[in-house]
Amino acid sequence: MAVTVVTGAVKTKRGATLGYLLPALLLIALFFIVPVLMLLMRSVLEPEVGLQNYKALLGSTTYLRVFLNTFLVAGVVTLVSIVVGYPVAWLLAIMPQKWSRIVLAIIILSMWTNLLARTYAWMVLLQRTGVINKTLMGLGLIDTPLALVNNLVGVTIGMTYIMLPFVILPLMGVIRTIDPAILRAAALCGAGKMQCFLRVLLPLSLPGIAAGALMVFVMSLGYFVTPALLGGTSNMMLAELVAQFVQSLVNWGMGGAAALVLLVVTLALYAVQLRYFNPARGT
Amino acid sequence: MTQPFLSINGIRKNYGNVTAVKNVSMDIAQGEFMTFLGPSGSGKSTTLYILAGFQDPSGGDILLNGQSLLSTPSHKRNIGMVFQRYTLFPHLTVGENVAFPLRIRRRPQAEIAERVKAALKLVRLEGFEDRMPALMSGGQQQRVALARALVYNPPVLLMDEPLSALDKKLREEIQFEIRRIHQETGVTILYVTHDQEEALRLSDRIAVFSQGEIDQIGTGPELYSNPATRFVAGFIGDSNFLDATVVTSNAGKAKLALGDGAVVEGVPLHGPSAASSRASLMLRPERLSLSRVSVPSGIAVTVRDITFLGNNVEVSTATPAGVDLAVRLPFGHEAISSLARGEQAWLTFDTASAHAFA
Ligand SMILES: Nc1ncnc2c1ncn2[C@@H]1O[C@H](COP(=O)(O)OP(=O)(O)O)[C@@H](O)[C@H]1O
Ligand SMILES: [Mg+2]
Repeated sequence: MAVTVVTGAVKTKRGATLGYLLPALLLIALFFIVPVLMLLMRSVLEPEVGLQNYKALLGSTTYLRVFLNTFLVAGVVTLVSIVVGYPVAWLLAIMPQKWSRIVLAIIILSMWTNLLARTYAWMVLLQRTGVINKTLMGLGLIDTPLALVNNLVGVTIGMTYIMLPFVILPLMGVIRTIDPAILRAAALCGAGKMQCFLRVLLPLSLPGIAAGALMVFVMSLGYFVTPALLGGTSNMMLAELVAQFVQSLVNWGMGGAAALVLLVVTLALYAVQLRYFNPARGT
Repeated sequence: MTQPFLSINGIRKNYGNVTAVKNVSMDIAQGEFMTFLGPSGSGKSTTLYILAGFQDPSGGDILLNGQSLLSTPSHKRNIGMVFQRYTLFPHLTVGENVAFPLRIRRRPQAEIAERVKAALKLVRLEGFEDRMPALMSGGQQQRVALARALVYNPPVLLMDEPLSALDKKLREEIQFEIRRIHQETGVTILYVTHDQEEALRLSDRIAVFSQGEIDQIGTGPELYSNPATRFVAGFIGDSNFLDATVVTSNAGKAKLALGDGAVVEGVPLHGPSAASSRASLMLRPERLSLSRVSVPSGIAVTVRDITFLGNNVEVSTATPAGVDLAVRLPFGHEAISSLARGEQAWLTFDTASAHAFA
């Protein structure tokens, strides 16, 4: 008797929760799931029924180059972001709160600044007659201007700049949870600064590194504005390819196929992170 | 004179305008168990951290076998330490935690395995090699930390309130283990605590810290029977304090007036003394006696309460001026049966067991 009552209560409760969630679920379905399904349909229906779009996409070296380049850029940006972001996150974690608040505010303000404005600013800075080249030449470090824009270097610099907050914030969070007494213990055990870092600090910040890296990698895979403006024609990224298919060639079939390949890769990576680095499950 | 094993010479430490440690000096013999005892904020941890190399002193020096340690960084001092907080490496197993100092020292694999096993055996945690620290109790974690701190045979082991996070029963159990490990290994231990019972149970000698300074260093019985300052008298053992006036003093013994005409003679006097200066008379409750009949040199008191405590009886009394004096009489003492709440009694004591602090 009691059991039935309890089950009934649970059912009602679950039903009520679903009721509250319904508008949100409908919104997600309408604006996210339906378009993706439509894209999926068009990728297998246009110009005729079949997988020809996927065959064309994965069978052509030109398109494969775009895939490869996309992963290369995302990989390099992720790596550079972690390498540059880690020391910043560490400093933020150990500096007095009143200072770290100011630095954090600056970092977050930069995130709120318009993406196009920031990318154009880099174009100006990096171009052949830009401040950076002029300064380096003025100092006599180089004779001819460096090619910093319209290539992989430009894309990496521009995107790393945009992605940095996404590694700094989770890393700082994780590093802050590490008790400094543990590092003191390591020091008395005989570990110098490098050993402390490699054997203790780095392994303990792995969840933060994984979270930041995944976020940056996934965001980079689908990036459009920065590669389009700072990259060269020879290193096109997937998002640019999708845009080209849809805008210039009005080929929704190919565009949809390329977008879905990107989506599948992203979801796969997300699944890996959930499986191995989910803080809720403990690593 | 032979050179001391470990010598702390006039250590000072200022944080801005806060003086954490004023002037700490002591010599520690090899194999000694020395405890820093004092209230929170008295500079015990700071002194220990200076020994560990986590802080640089503002002045003074630390010599191990005659060599200054100050220019050696923490990781080269070869000192062991157990901390107040749990500091095992959470990503490593118990075995790897204990192996850590040996891996840093690039010892051969076979030696590491053997020494890790021996160290875990020493702390009675054999077979726990593959356990993760998060799955162990606080007491077990501190024992692993002890194994990790001893596995490389450091000449000195520092312990900063390692048991303060544990409950009383577990604390006593591990105190006993620490004592055994000290005897088995012969390692020199510097131990910090604010718990006098812990200090008395463990230590060969105790340094009593007060406001960044050492008030007195000595064995437990020395500190108890001959405290150098009022602070030490109040911190070690139980004590009563009575206001008094110095009548005369001679060769460290004083004649004191206690008001109400009571006068005591031959009380050891500590501190600067001048006739008619004020002093504080310290009486141990267990060194006092009560009598129902008037005694000429006795202090007249009123009995407030009588509490049976098993092997002794605590009698709360008050002087006419309203100062509370606790008296602890052994069970079966002749005065007990004749005492009653609210009645007059006379308090007497052996003046040599009392102490006056100017
Ligand atoms: N890093 C620090 N900055 C400023 N003051 C400190 C610092 N560390 C300790 N102190 C001060 O120094 C005094 C002694 O501290 P500590 O050695 O930790 O005492 P104990 O271990 O005896 O409790 C305290 O007043 C404390 O507030
Ligand atoms: Mg302390």
